[in-house]
Amino acid sequence: MITIKGITKKYGNYTALDDISLHIASGEFVSLVGQSGTGKTTLVKLIIAEERPSKGEIIIGGWDITAIKSYEVPYLRRQIGVIFQDFKLLPKKTVYENVAFALESCGVAAATILKVVPQVLKIVGLDNKIDHYPWQLSGGEKQRVAIARALVHKPKLLIADEPTGNLDSINTKEIIDLLIKINEIGTTVLLVSHNRDVVNGLRRRVITVEEGKIISDQVKGRYVL
Amino acid sequence: MFFLDLFRSFKFALQSLWRNFWLTIVTVIIVTLAMASVSFLLIFNLVANNVVDTVKAKSEIYIDLTEDAKQAQVEFLVAELNKLEDIREVIYITPSETLDRFKEEHKNDEVIIASLESLSANPFTGSLKLSVNDISKFDALLTELSRDEYGQILEINNSEFYEAKDLLNVISDYSKKIEKLGFGISLFFVLISIIVVFNTIQMGIYSHREEIGIMKLVGASNWFVRSPFIIESILYSIISVVVMILIFYPLAVYVQPHIDNFLGEYTLDLVASVSSNFLWVFGLEIGIAILITVLSSLFATRRYLDE
Repeated sequence: MITIKGITKKYGNYTALDDISLHIASGEFVSLVGQSGTGKTTLVKLIIAEERPSKGEIIIGGWDITAIKSYEVPYLRRQIGVIFQDFKLLPKKTVYENVAFALESCGVAAATILKVVPQVLKIVGLDNKIDHYPWQLSGGEKQRVAIARALVHKPKLLIADEPTGNLDSINTKEIIDLLIKINEIGTTVLLVSHNRDVVNGLRRRVITVEEGKIISDQVKGRYVL
Repeated sequence: MFFLDLFRSFKFALQSLWRNFWLTIVTVIIVTLAMASVSFLLIFNLVANNVVDTVKAKSEIYIDLTEDAKQAQVEFLVAELNKLEDIREVIYITPSETLDRFKEEHKNDEVIIASLESLSANPFTGSLKLSVNDISKFDALLTELSRDEYGQILEINNSEFYEAKDLLNVISDYSKKIEKLGFGISLFFVLISIIVVFNTIQMGIYSHREEIGIMKLVGASNWFVRSPFIIESILYSIISVVVMILIFYPLAVYVQPHIDNFLGEYTLDLVASVSSNFLWVFGLEIGIAILITVLSSLFATRRYLDE
């Protein structure tokens, strides 16, 4: 699903990622861990083509995106679901509209949107709040809207960048359970986190990054830092 | 696909107009004020040009005929002059008409009237009344008429002839200066309006900069992100010009008597003048407003799309 070969990312003289190589197979649930500022989010930005690598090669689902053209970026992002710590919801759109927007932006027919969006909102348990605005939701609910939006065009890869960073323990568990469920139906999940309990509780593959380098990659790993 | 995207862009633009109600109100007010200042200048120019045109149209010159001028010569000259393209009209004024006109002009001057009546005969010769289509042509025409061959018919050597010629040149110069000044002031106001509207649209889009980033993250193309902002700008422009039209007519009716008092015979019917050019005037204003707001939107969104 994701193949990264010798990726280096520099900002001036500062090296955020230094010669990173890894492969994530289709259907895997991988946690990418490390302390703040170690390059985790930079790696996510490279995978979604928000940043370009200084050196190396990135292949997503067989598509070499290393030198992706700007007009191709939207097509890449429609194949990858992404959720963030700060939810990144459109504040002036309702729950329904936030999720529908992801489909509307890629030209999906209105009838399909009318059918699919309520189904996805039901999966994340928000079918009773479709007309609410983000400011009317709790943190956990906002993150579930973000997950629904990320899932709505059935991506093969879901990237969750610190999805529980702004949530309490109950909401954290609900979100992680949802990610596990999503993985069980075949979606590859890349979880970026520095929450020790979450990562240890998963007992899945853990890649640890420190100072821009991978220092461990364990199939059933733990948070070792 | 194109029409589906266009329909959705319209939907998003209308949603944004409604859901960012106060931002919409502020933007519409500012665009309306900017367009109103341009309209005010356009109307000022319209009134000033009307005054200048009226003055030009009323500019005419009387050339006295010599005592020796024969009726047939005069009629031939009038006919020939009337054939010239630059001349609007040449009329022969008989000696008795000249006398009547003179009496009318000096009816309050008892000494002159008494002096005239003391004379046994009409002291005036006939004259020619010349008016032209373009006041700037007067000079060349009068120079042409100053040639010796017309000396037998026209009194071209008296001071009145040259005073009239100078006066017409002055009027022509002033009308050109007024036109240039009007154009310069209009250009200045248009530039200020462009800057104000540009900054207003920029500020509006600045408040949406995070949304633009989010839309890109979920896979929206640059045009899909941009188009609702462009449509919103077009709607701002149309609403603003409609508001301005709604304000203009009652205001014009209110101001008309004051303009009439101020300009007297040179006045202009504002409502009639604007109404007769309604599509041209407001079409041009909507066009200008759309051009400025859309360019501002394109520029502002590009900045955040590139981030």
